[in-house]
Amino acid sequence: MTSQSGYEHLVPLLKEFAALDQDDPRRNRLRDELVTGHLPVALHIARRFSHRGEPQEDLEQVATVGLINAVDRFEPDRGSDFLSYAVPTITGEVRRHFRDQAWSMRVPRRLKDLHVSIGAAVSELSQRLGRAPRPSEIAAHLDISTEEVLEGLEAAGAYRSASLDEVLTDDDPTGQTTGDVLGEADSALDQVEYRESVRPLLASLPERERTILMLRFFGNLTQTQIAEKVGISQMHVSRLLAQTLAKLREGLE
Amino acid sequence: MAPGGQQADLDSRTLVEVRIPASAAQISAVRVVAADLAARQDFDLDAVSDLRMAVDEACATLVPLAAAGATLSCRFLANTAAVEVVVQVTVDDPGAKVPQNTFGWRVLTTLADDVTVLDGEAGTLGIGLSLRRERMDG
Repeated sequence: MTSQSGYEHLVPLLKEFAALDQDDPRRNRLRDELVTGHLPVALHIARRFSHRGEPQEDLEQVATVGLINAVDRFEPDRGSDFLSYAVPTITGEVRRHFRDQAWSMRVPRRLKDLHVSIGAAVSELSQRLGRAPRPSEIAAHLDISTEEVLEGLEAAGAYRSASLDEVLTDDDPTGQTTGDVLGEADSALDQVEYRESVRPLLASLPERERTILMLRFFGNLTQTQIAEKVGISQMHVSRLLAQTLAKLREGLE
Repeated sequence: MAPGGQQADLDSRTLVEVRIPASAAQISAVRVVAADLAARQDFDLDAVSDLRMAVDEACATLVPLAAAGATLSCRFLANTAAVEVVVQVTVDDPGAKVPQNTFGWRVLTTLADDVTVLDGEAGTLGIGLSLRRERMDG
């Protein structure tokens, strides 16, 4: 990894930095140089988490904090190279940020856990049933009461940007399989009167939001079918649809 | 229920009404009730989400037509087969109509199994919609 990483020139500096005393006057300058030199790594990781509702600048800042931690804690003597230490450190920092941000409404721990298990149950049951599960089915699957499921679903509503499983897995952007259906949806849009007013708004949407909206309202797919095609969870589709409709409504007024 | 208490008929037990000032900012209360009622009738999560969006859309369609200071009423009749919803506002303009050639109307008719314009009563406009628990698609 080290040989082709493009950061080889920094390896001696890392060794030098690690060998310095905590209060050595050269520390700050060297640290700056190391952080600046590896900054593209942090920015690259921050970009992987974009389009998830957090401002890009915040992500870059958090990733940079992760990079600084990695520079400070890296021990060259341990044998591993810096990048294989830094990448998980930076990624961990960004994920922690999402977790803290997303649960900023201070949902109790038990409900967070419940929400995570419900999310997993929903995707498993959707696969098996070929449709979205009912609360009673989720309850049976998790061996908890329906009341608890309803409580957990409510907590999901309090969850601002995206659900934990979506944040913690790197989802692919819109899959290839949506193409055909999208073509049909587009021609359905052509048949409606208001297309002139709505087209520019649709065109201004992020691709994934636009695809989801078209598939639901002009392609007549259910949320669960869309979730499968686009490669995100049903809960995520549900949230994106609601947000997109609100955005369009503002734009049309 | 307390012994010897009043007997309630089925409809009055399952009828829920939410009244809000006819303003876009207040619609969230209606959305929450819609989703909760459907989830408690064990609708699948797609249907719960569809009902919430449909009710949202119906309210958002009526709010701009409402008379100044009007109240928007949203009545839900929920049972294990379907949730029926009637959204109504009072209007000033006797010529006001529920617009049906809009994107919002497309959204509404896609989400709900049945949508009706309620314009029979002078001075009010409404939208009735229903979602069945067992859906054709999916």
